Amino acid sequence: MSAQLAPEDVLTDEGYAVVATAEDLHVTFRRNGKAIHALRGISLEIRRGEILGLVGESGSGKSVLGLTLLGLHGAGATISGRATVRGRDMVSATDAERREVRIAHLGAVFQDPMTSLNPTMRVGRQVAEAAGSDEEALRLLRLVGVPEAESRMSAFPHELSGGLRQRVMIAMAVAGNPDLVIADEPTTALDVTVQAQVLRLLRTLRDELGCSVLMITHDLGVAAQIADRVAVMYAGRLAELGESDAVLRNSAHPYTLGLMRSRLTLGVDRSRALPALAGEVPSPAAPQPGCAFSPRCSVAGPDCVETSPEPVEVEPGHHSACLRPLAVVRRTDTMGPAVLTARAEPARIDQDTAALSLRSVVKTFGVGKGFGRKRTLHALRGVSLQIAQGESVALVGESGSGKSTLLRVAAGLEAADSGEVELSGGSRPQMVFQDSGASLTPWMTVEQILGERVRDLGRAARAAKVREALSLVGLPAEVGAARATQLSGGQRQRVCLARATIVPPPVLLCDEPTSALDVSLAASVINLIARLRRELGMSVLFVTHDLSVARVVADRIAVMYLGQIVEIGASDRVTSAPLHPYTRSLVSAVPDVGLTPVILPGEPASPLNPPSGCAFHPRCADATESCRDTELGLRLQRVANDDVDRVACINIDLSHVPTPVYITPKGA
Amino acid sequence: MAVAEPFVAPRPAWRRPVSLDLRAPRTWSIIGASLFAVMTLIALAAPLLSPHDPLVPVGIPLAGPGHGGFLLGSDSIGRDVLSRCLYGMRASWFAALVVIAGGFLIGGLVGLVAGSSGGWIDNLLMRITDGFLALPAPVLAIAVVASLGPSFTHTLIAVSVVWWPFYARIVRGEISKLAARPHVEAARLAGAGRVRIAVRHLLPGALPAAVVTASLDVGNLVLALAGLSFLGLGQSAPAPELGADSARNLSLLLQQWWVPVVPGIAVAVLAVIANVAGDSVRNLIDPA
Ligand SMILES: Nc1ncnc2c1ncn2[C@@H]1O[C@H](COP(=O)(O)OP(=O)(O)OP(=O)(O)O)[C@@H](O)[C@H]1O
Ligand code: SF4
Ligand code: SF4
Ligand SMILES: [Mg+2]
Repeated sequence: MSAQLAPEDVLTDEGYAVVATAEDLHVTFRRNGKAIHALRGISLEIRRGEILGLVGESGSGKSVLGLTLLGLHGAGATISGRATVRGRDMVSATDAERREVRIAHLGAVFQDPMTSLNPTMRVGRQVAEAAGSDEEALRLLRLVGVPEAESRMSAFPHELSGGLRQRVMIAMAVAGNPDLVIADEPTTALDVTVQAQVLRLLRTLRDELGCSVLMITHDLGVAAQIADRVAVMYAGRLAELGESDAVLRNSAHPYTLGLMRSRLTLGVDRSRALPALAGEVPSPAAPQPGCAFSPRCSVAGPDCVETSPEPVEVEPGHHSACLRPLAVVRRTDTMGPAVLTARAEPARIDQDTAALSLRSVVKTFGVGKGFGRKRTLHALRGVSLQIAQGESVALVGESGSGKSTLLRVAAGLEAADSGEVELSGGSRPQMVFQDSGASLTPWMTVEQILGERVRDLGRAARAAKVREALSLVGLPAEVGAARATQLSGGQRQRVCLARATIVPPPVLLCDEPTSALDVSLAASVINLIARLRRELGMSVLFVTHDLSVARVVADRIAVMYLGQIVEIGASDRVTSAPLHPYTRSLVSAVPDVGLTPVILPGEPASPLNPPSGCAFHPRCADATESCRDTELGLRLQRVANDDVDRVACINIDLSHVPTPVYITPKGA
Repeated sequence: MAVAEPFVAPRPAWRRPVSLDLRAPRTWSIIGASLFAVMTLIALAAPLLSPHDPLVPVGIPLAGPGHGGFLLGSDSIGRDVLSRCLYGMRASWFAALVVIAGGFLIGGLVGLVAGSSGGWIDNLLMRITDGFLALPAPVLAIAVVASLGPSFTHTLIAVSVVWWPFYARIVRGEISKLAARPHVEAARLAGAGRVRIAVRHLLPGALPAAVVTASLDVGNLVLALAGLSFLGLGQSAPAPELGADSARNLSLLLQQWWVPVVPGIAVAVLAVIANVAGDSVRNLIDPA
């Protein structure tokens, strides 16, 4: 036991108002001989019983702050300042003291529960280890809403779905009634419908247990939905802090304003290029002198490069670290005037020519389970889809619904078991992958990679073509000499787009090209894809799990569930007046500022064993007896004889198409 | 509109100027790795460095180190031990390099084909590889020498036969890991054929691991070959060979110790140098 431990601190649960604080906290790591300034003087407090949303893009230091509070920052870090939990400084404490504080006061949930759970141990035992007894473990698993908790106790982590694993992690985090739960991107790896469930759970737990939650997320919508107060971080410092509503709806810092404006929602104006923050997140290895945001800030002045602004109270309880007065920031258009006025030309679509048509495509995979016994995974269960020349179609659906498989079959990377894939003109489509870094050969230069598609040209012609392709995606010619590891995430995705379009393909296939990118970069990549599509007359098939992205990039949206398309229609109609019960739940689960999601119960079904009849029936609120019927033979049906909208559900009135609600943006 | 960001490509690690900062671990790794070159130079220059002809008697037999003009003494028929050691080191060093080069080429090719084709080709090639891997080196060497007649070349062939499968396994492991990365599919979509994918998009990624293994392997091979020649499976009689020289003169250990011990020490020195150099290569290629 340590001498610093004041007994009343530990024993009385009453009489404290602040659970944890950071006081002028600096954390610096050394990597490859370079100093990485992860936190550069951050001060904030987490109040008792509150949910504090900590928002920032990758590299802004939000996870480091969480780990420092947990006392898990590692030996390699140089730290100054304080990070206290219930009055005990986790920076100066010994390892044993940190452990003691973690056990007594803290709980943690991380993004990928698979890496924090022991894969060789039954989940019941793991929870019991944290909770003290099997009975307590069972109580906790019930508390976090694990269905059939008793039988799940004996399951191994890999036997649970992502959402259930995250619930198990949360059960372990709240074991022993912690005062503070630190949740680092707990829903980033989950589907929207499951994300909504988990967010609801965290809120309920806070209400029932009275613990505080530090909710670390890059998604402003998630923060809006769950947090009482929000702290926005930029380059290791606090940019803005205040009540959720104040920060997100009435932002005071130019960075937050920029983020809110470049954020994709279901209400974004589709007819214009998206407003995008210029530039990229600064590298933590070389911090900007003065205000770190100054290179991207439209109200920056010479003073911003000299003085590093401290957060000041701009409104009661609302702090912002900016040298400009509030009135100036709010009056200015933080994105710069050029961006907002760019009205995009609509793309030319030739409805009579199909660029890509898929007919009744079926694809199964044999997955081995232990020795010998192979099981059949039904990835695609009869998908038909036509894409007109110049048209853009988005595929949405939860993880495992077969979106990527469909794309890979269309690309010819995977052969269909049955069905037809027909490409106009017969030339190969090109594809852009989610992980842009991994899709570039690491030891080849950008020039060599791009040159591969124009190998039949002579040296000089090839070099010219590469330069042209790079400039088309907004990259300077010097990038040609770089390798993938030397580029930032946004630059890599541009290189991938340059490779795909150096010889314009008839169809561009995109597999979640923006989901690994920061909020402020995703918008610029989406704009780029839209511009390339218009200028090169390509068709686009775009896979995403994010409906608001789908709505912006696509003319039509196809919704997939368990290897089938269950609804297809014009983007605006699908996102504003969805027909299929599954689409309705998807639309309502999109986290947004000022919306309460409707929560879809149940877990995503398994493609190893698709339910009979309508595969959605176990989760469907409108399901009737006949939906279960094995003979149902559900097919996509025209809605009101129009050619665009189709839906596969027996309990829907097909006589008229609901009118889409065209969302008119403010100030348009 | 796309905003072109200013771009400055950082210099790749291997193009950084070589600094002679003796506190930097990199400097020591470079010095260590150059031991391979130094040893090869010594092996090449053995005829120049040797004071005498290693094959013919040049003075009184069994002279102690420093006596009769022999720096490290003479053997039972009056040949210079130092010269025999230098020639013996030359033979061991080149033999080790030859076997490794052979293993590297054959194993690398098998691994590349297996890893990049996958499916039944991969299975078949790896079964064969495992078969070879299961053969015990000395027994195979004895069998080869017994059937083809004793000769140094035959021993080298025998050792190579058991040595390449290591490289096949390592290269195939690296290649199949790389083959699962999306960059290979991207290359396929860009129109690259099988061979081009294997050579441009897979092989360069497997080379570092293979080179590290090879450089750590030189020491093992020096020892293995010395062991075989100690068993009489090396070069035939008059040729200077470290293992054989040591074995043949083992009876002199108590009186004229330098005759069997000096070649033994030479083997140890070679092995240690090879290991230091191999470690340095690993640190350079894979600094973790
Ligand atoms: N090569 C393969 N071998 C075995 N199963 C596979 C293979 N490729 C895909 N699957 C399975 O097929 C199903 C559909 O996968 P797919 O990748 O198309 O889903 P998705 O909708 O893209 O999901 P996500 O949003 O997670 O990317 C999943 O259950 C997946 O695990
Ligand atoms: S301090 Fe200057 S650069 Fe920083 S946000 Fe405010 S105006 Fe922009
Ligand atoms: S067919 Fe039945 S179960 Fe399927 S979506 Fe329609 S109502 Fe729900
Ligand atoms: Mg996918």
